[in-house]
Amino acid sequence: MAILVNKATKVITQGITGKAGSFHTEQCMAYGSRFVGGVTPGKGGQSVFHLPIFNTVAEAKEATHCDATMIFVPAPYAAEAILEAEEAGIPLIVCITEGIPVRDMLEVSKVMKNSATSRLIGPNCPGIITPGECKIGIMPGYIHHPGSVGIVSRSGTLTYEAVWQTTQLGLGQSTCIGIGGDPLNGTNFIDVLELFEKDPRTTSILLIGEIGGEAEEQAAEWIKNHCSKPVAAFIAGTTAPAGRRMGHAGAIISGNKGTAQGKIEALEAAGVVVARSPANMGVAIQKAMK
Amino acid sequence: MDIHEYQAKQILRQYGIPSPEFLVISSSDDIDSVIDNSPWDQAVVKIQVHAGGRGKGGGVKVARNRQEIKKAAKELLGMKFVNKQTGPQGMIANQILLTPLVEVKREFYLGAVIDRNNAQAMLIFSPEGGMDIEEVAEKHPQKILKIPITDRGSVRGYNLLRILDFMSWTGKQAEQGKKLSLALAKAFVETDASLIEINPLVETTQGDLIALDAKISIDDNALYRQKQIGDFYDPSQLPDAEVQAKAYDLAYIALQGNIGCMVNGAGLAMATMDIIQLAGGKPANFLDVGGGASREKVAAGFKIILSDPHVKAVLINIFGGIMNCETLAAGIISAAGELKVNVPLVVRMEGTHVEQGKKMLAKSGLGITIAASLEEAAEKVVTAAKGRK
Repeated sequence: MAILVNKATKVITQGITGKAGSFHTEQCMAYGSRFVGGVTPGKGGQSVFHLPIFNTVAEAKEATHCDATMIFVPAPYAAEAILEAEEAGIPLIVCITEGIPVRDMLEVSKVMKNSATSRLIGPNCPGIITPGECKIGIMPGYIHHPGSVGIVSRSGTLTYEAVWQTTQLGLGQSTCIGIGGDPLNGTNFIDVLELFEKDPRTTSILLIGEIGGEAEEQAAEWIKNHCSKPVAAFIAGTTAPAGRRMGHAGAIISGNKGTAQGKIEALEAAGVVVARSPANMGVAIQKAMK
Repeated sequence: MDIHEYQAKQILRQYGIPSPEFLVISSSDDIDSVIDNSPWDQAVVKIQVHAGGRGKGGGVKVARNRQEIKKAAKELLGMKFVNKQTGPQGMIANQILLTPLVEVKREFYLGAVIDRNNAQAMLIFSPEGGMDIEEVAEKHPQKILKIPITDRGSVRGYNLLRILDFMSWTGKQAEQGKKLSLALAKAFVETDASLIEINPLVETTQGDLIALDAKISIDDNALYRQKQIGDFYDPSQLPDAEVQAKAYDLAYIALQGNIGCMVNGAGLAMATMDIIQLAGGKPANFLDVGGGASREKVAAGFKIILSDPHVKAVLINIFGGIMNCETLAAGIISAAGELKVNVPLVVRMEGTHVEQGKKMLAKSGLGITIAASLEEAAEKVVTAAKGRK
């Protein structure tokens, strides 16, 4: 089982001939992911790593019946790449690209919210992995181990830290998802929590958040009301200074939410075991399972 | 990216949002001639810095004759402005703005921002202008109106009516208020702004609505397609270390502690600061060298960290993952050797070939301490920093 991706998942790469796109496609294939093609406009008909290249996502979808796409298209064109994948009806769109303008993501967010066919993970994220089965993203495969902890995170390298700890404790992971660090993303904590709640292989959940926004507070609320599985968490940025604010208007929307302390309190009130030190994320999940 | 008030006013004028005439002075040599040639016998002189709270902090002066205007200009040009928003190092006013006195009947607040929860650009209105809008939102939420900006950068007709009603704009002001709202929505979308504030927007004694102040922040990710605004980049408003970091595409924020940190990834960088504090130390900075942590970036990171004289020890925490630790170790060794790093250096890394990488560091002769885990790294660097007080 696990969630969203498994060994049957057929994947393409958008931006497969770029430096990052080709490097990570090769890495994912070496891990055992089932890649079936790639897209680079103008290079249709060629091939790379024995995979056919198509000019458009629609052509790639028709020829390969892919289930997922991994996007490495440069930021100025990435939003359009997401919209193209959605229009082609690809069920899972994983956008690794960072630096997409917010205005572009406003349109993407609206389209994805109403999409009947597709889910977006990211942008600005490490991707998704079901250990031993399918890796779509830039995370190092070897730190993962098939197991029972579902991991969801806003961060990249901090997720690797969490994965590494759960691997070393012998727990392993069911599926790990980086939802991305941008203010506007396709899949949020609650979406992933719902999937983990329904997944029989996932027996506990580790949530990794950070300061800013109120996604963690909303997740805490959902956990309190809907989650039957043990949950542990870590929130990065307890010691970060309030920082130079860009102005006041942003705070009008978010009110007083967004501090690490507020997030930790909300999660603890929902029964989540919150690790105070990033070195104890694995230990926290063990504690939550007791 | 932030821009100055006069630049924001220029942009808003292009969209038809009126503001009082102004002159900008950048050199003290020009003060006398500019003021002698100006049409105003009374004026407001305002420092141009990338921070709010200028009025309260003494950065705005009202002058009632030309002698006073000159005196105020001389005092304010070059002023080092320090408040909560600037941080302790302050910001230098390399430019001042001169603008005629406006007689004000009422003050309003007008803003535009992105509501992240709903993925929606919004206009914000309040009849309580000139105030701290955060405070208004908290104490009198009924005095704030939020109106969605359409995808095309406009405002729907029925929402315009709501705005006029909420702001009590009638007659001539209703016409001007409508125009202003539409112009602000258009400006927000077309300039890729992340924030626009007109605080205050005023009603003059003649009954006209004009912007007395303006603030615009632009989405950094969109600067590649906002060339005109990109030219407004003013590095003098940022600490030197942050300007350097920007040039190398590194994210750096100076803090008050004495342990320099170099980490790949923002989340792990914050977590590293947290664990240093838990171990009893104080981080000197936040520094994200990016997922790749190339040799060039590590070298630039060292330079920036060591430019802070308070740094007594440095912690490098790299979860390389796919990255080869031998390459990383070679980068650290060459950068540390070249720059003659003379404070204790603690390195924690994970990735492929991690054992070979650690061996290289141990043999480098640079006295690098190697930590096996995040926790151990924090403890070792805190101990090292304490030993050098």
